[in-house]
Amino acid sequence: MKKTIIMAAMLMALVLSSAAYAAAPLETVKGNVNRVLDILRDPALQGKALLEKKKEKLRAVYYDMFDERELSRRCLSRNWAKLTADQQKEFIHLFRQILENTYSDRILAYKNERIVFDKESALSSTQAEVYTRIITASSEVPIFYRLILSDGSWKVYDVVIENISLVQNYRSQFDEILAKNPPEKMLEILRNKLK
Amino acid sequence: MMSFIREKDGEMRDMRARRFFLFSVFFLGFCLLPSYDAPFLANHAWGAEEYAVEISASLPEDVLPSADLAPEAAAGEAADHDVADTAVAEAADEYEDDYFDEDEELYGVRSDIAPIADPIEPFNRAMHHFNDKMYFWVLKPVAIGYKTVVPELVRVGVKNFFTNLAFPLRFTSSLLQADFGGALRETGRFTINTVWGLAGFLDPASMSGDLFPKNDADLGETFGVWGIGPGIYIVWPVIGPSSLRDTFAFAGECFLYPPAYLQPWYTPAGVRSYQIINDTSLRIGDYEALIGAAIDPYLAARDAYNQYRAKKIENKRKKLTSPAEIPSE
Repeated sequence: MKKTIIMAAMLMALVLSSAAYAAAPLETVKGNVNRVLDILRDPALQGKALLEKKKEKLRAVYYDMFDERELSRRCLSRNWAKLTADQQKEFIHLFRQILENTYSDRILAYKNERIVFDKESALSSTQAEVYTRIITASSEVPIFYRLILSDGSWKVYDVVIENISLVQNYRSQFDEILAKNPPEKMLEILRNKLK
Repeated sequence: MMSFIREKDGEMRDMRARRFFLFSVFFLGFCLLPSYDAPFLANHAWGAEEYAVEISASLPEDVLPSADLAPEAAAGEAADHDVADTAVAEAADEYEDDYFDEDEELYGVRSDIAPIADPIEPFNRAMHHFNDKMYFWVLKPVAIGYKTVVPELVRVGVKNFFTNLAFPLRFTSSLLQADFGGALRETGRFTINTVWGLAGFLDPASMSGDLFPKNDADLGETFGVWGIGPGIYIVWPVIGPSSLRDTFAFAGECFLYPPAYLQPWYTPAGVRSYQIINDTSLRIGDYEALIGAAIDPYLAARDAYNQYRAKKIENKRKKLTSPAEIPSE
């Protein structure tokens, strides 16, 4: 009898904990994406003059949503260790600006595409993948977010657009650059790109 | 006389088409022979284990996750190297394993896709440069002009029309993959969209919900599903990124592209160009984003192509072995 109760309690705990876990990554992504959409649709922020303010707000969401360090670390993979702490810091900073320069226009160009949050799947106890789709008039673009649990919250460390992992794409580039050049040269290339 | 030549021409093409069809049927029959151990028919064959091994085999040793090596083998190998060498390699491996082993643990297989070989990089870089200029100087301006004249609704219709027209390719590829369900669904989609979708301009089949899910398939993917690797990376002028495998597939795909049978001889090229312009008009900005965000645009494009193709094949393999687990595309 006692055994059955213990078993039931354990089962209960298992079910409850997995249910509590399951809601988190997808809800986090959904919440952040909806925040972005709210900013984009905000009537008080329309017009060219307010563009900078809009970007400011989007940046705040980016900081909440992404784990920059993890993202940068994974882009460099084993090369990460070759950078000094200062170089790592600078790399994170430059890399963020490059991403912002390219993708902010794309995000600001958002019209009324529909975003569907399909599901999430746990990759491990601290990592998860969230499947979303952007549906436009002509196509459907699958976007997966890979998240890691850090300090009690889920943060994105990789975005997979149409099956192409952002992190892996950059890794292939940095690998080749750092195979021939020292880290300082790579940082210089990044600095020049931002000029 | 002219008409005679044209007739002769048509006959030749018919013959070629027939030969290709016979070849396909023959090949399919061959694959279905019970004695032939077709990998895509044996469900266990694509298990994570074998896949992992296959990927490891195509990778240089120093990036292999150490877990893949039997301990004795690893020890034996280490003894063969200089002590200093081993230490350095191990230090590097340890750091890399930090990332890759993690992924391996997560997905059951290495999630990182093996890089594609690129022995003709100088040629490819030149072609990449040429295509890049083609895009910005010719294709993009034309597509933008076209976009301003033709409303989006029509352009989406045209896109649907061409997608519908490519049915023979998807159908044949599905058959060659022994994906009979997929072939059947594609036939259903084609029939519905041709009859009730104004010859394919509309896509009523997609509105039926899960009844007729899209079943994209191509020949390059088929070869991939059979276990043929991409070979080397090749950038063709105008056509763009490809691989050795996909180049062969492309040649075959030309037979399965109905406009290729139009007369006079330059019509197919014209139709194809129009299709490319139409498609481009719907995706302006995608290429710019990829190139703009890249540190080395050539490498970014190469990796994007490689990841996209490898993932497509991997997903198809999974779908063919365990249809229930994979969400519809």
